[in-house]
Amino acid sequence: MQSFSIISKIHEGLSQKAYSCKELTQSYLDAIAKENGALNAYTLPTPEKALESARKVDEKLARGETLRPLEGIPLTLKANISTKGIVTDCCSKILSGYTPVYDATVWSILESQNAVLLGKCNMDEFAMGSSCETGCHGPAHNPHDETKVAGGSSGGAASAVAGGVAPYALGSDTGGSIRQPASFCGIVGLKPTYGAVSRYGLIAYASSFDQIGPLALCAEDAARIFDVLAQKDPRDSTSTGKKESALEALKKPLSGRIVGLVPEYFAGLQPDVEKALEEAKRVFESLGCTCKTVSIPEIRYALPVYYILACAEASSNLGRYDGIRYGYKTAHYTGINEMISKTRSEGFGKEVQRRILLGTYVLSAGYYDAYYKKAQLLRRKIQRAFAKAFTQCDFLLAPTVPMTAFPEGFTAQDAVQTYQTDICTVPVNIAGLPAVSVPCGFDADGMPVGMQLIGGSFQEAVLLNAAHQYELAARSQSFRSAGKGVEL
Amino acid sequence: MVTHEEIRAIANLAKLQVPDEELDGLTEDMNEIIAFADTIASVQVEDEAYEDVNGLSNVLREDVVQPGLSAEEVLQNARDRDENSFVVKKHA
Repeated sequence: MQSFSIISKIHEGLSQKAYSCKELTQSYLDAIAKENGALNAYTLPTPEKALESARKVDEKLARGETLRPLEGIPLTLKANISTKGIVTDCCSKILSGYTPVYDATVWSILESQNAVLLGKCNMDEFAMGSSCETGCHGPAHNPHDETKVAGGSSGGAASAVAGGVAPYALGSDTGGSIRQPASFCGIVGLKPTYGAVSRYGLIAYASSFDQIGPLALCAEDAARIFDVLAQKDPRDSTSTGKKESALEALKKPLSGRIVGLVPEYFAGLQPDVEKALEEAKRVFESLGCTCKTVSIPEIRYALPVYYILACAEASSNLGRYDGIRYGYKTAHYTGINEMISKTRSEGFGKEVQRRILLGTYVLSAGYYDAYYKKAQLLRRKIQRAFAKAFTQCDFLLAPTVPMTAFPEGFTAQDAVQTYQTDICTVPVNIAGLPAVSVPCGFDADGMPVGMQLIGGSFQEAVLLNAAHQYELAARSQSFRSAGKGVEL
Repeated sequence: MVTHEEIRAIANLAKLQVPDEELDGLTEDMNEIIAFADTIASVQVEDEAYEDVNGLSNVLREDVVQPGLSAEEVLQNARDRDENSFVVKKHA
């Protein structure tokens, strides 16, 4: 059994009884025991839970029953996705020991398929960060170079998949938190359309931006996972149910597709990233696509709009943490006001407090119109600009991040400079669109570069088709062989 | 420019305590972030009407009782409880 198998290979191995689900699960648990000290990808491995699911799968196989698409496939969940009876702490002291009494819908779906939960994985506290260094369990490390960040906020998820200690993971993406770590770790990360996947049970950061999606070894895996997860959920009124099977669309030829290149995305790139994107463009042209410049000048408003709106929503969402009903509670206090403010100041980390303060500021009387309302109006302007761009092309090709993974400790120096790393990912969340990050090369130090394919609403099938065809075309190129030996 | 007093007032609204030794650093950070947010203040938006930005509308269901969490489940994560209640100390 290889430690870097794609899901269809594992499914085949289980179905053909090349190995049992118990053996498969144990091999991942052994890998976690061996590698997690160096990666810090998992904050809570769940071996008993995993082996219990594996036993159910083996019983089913013994009865000669057919396995469902993700049945028996191990995975890890980001620490903000609720799992009944399993600690879900958002990597925050304020939720230390918090054990949900209900499951997130995505986990209900997977558990009903006997998916094998290997554990909960590391993240930036409350998903606020781009480096997976702000959580209370310490940083997750990049498997390509452990002195570099895994990216964030779903850094543990990306580190686990790229490090070979999980076949796939579910993360969440509010401003790039799936795509950016996927890019830094050299794997595929899909941020679905807002409303494609249920957010029920996802601990909220910014509710109008948050979306759950897969981090996987290849586009085919991401398509398989997306098809299973994209369902209408009565418990999330924004969930719509998806339009088209992504898996069935993978094999379509790309000939005749128009790829939009947005110049605003290509400013200030690290030269290695620029070069890798140039190569990627050539691969799409070799597949019969036409590249076309499509300008979206409104993108220049995206970062301030994102930080104003996301922080405003966070300041409201995080108002619930008061020490009374769950989570951390301060030890000494004299009255309820002191109890709540001491609990919150001791329980939230610095970045979370900073964002709550900014959110409170932009929503306060006298500033609301200048910041919050203006940002909402610009949000709509950005959405319309993207919609117009998609009348001229099938999808957009852009970098995922202007740079490759930076050294740990780098981000602590300057808040605004750190926010700038999200410049290519946040426009998609503002517009509610789907986007996938796909590995497209390496920098001079051997760190992965990711490209981002952005589509119109509910066009995941178009994006994953393009990503899959790209992977097949680029397979012979040198960057693939350095990519931890994934077989496509 | 955001002042120390404003930071204290906002922190009070957000139920956060800002220790004196962190006030300077935090004020500086906030000013930097707010200056960044100010880059959109001068942008003109022609259409001022509000509408839902995600193009979604409210979903209603019939008002029928559905199973919910038990009192035991709801109280399970509380640090302090007394039978079926959360405990909050009286104001001193």
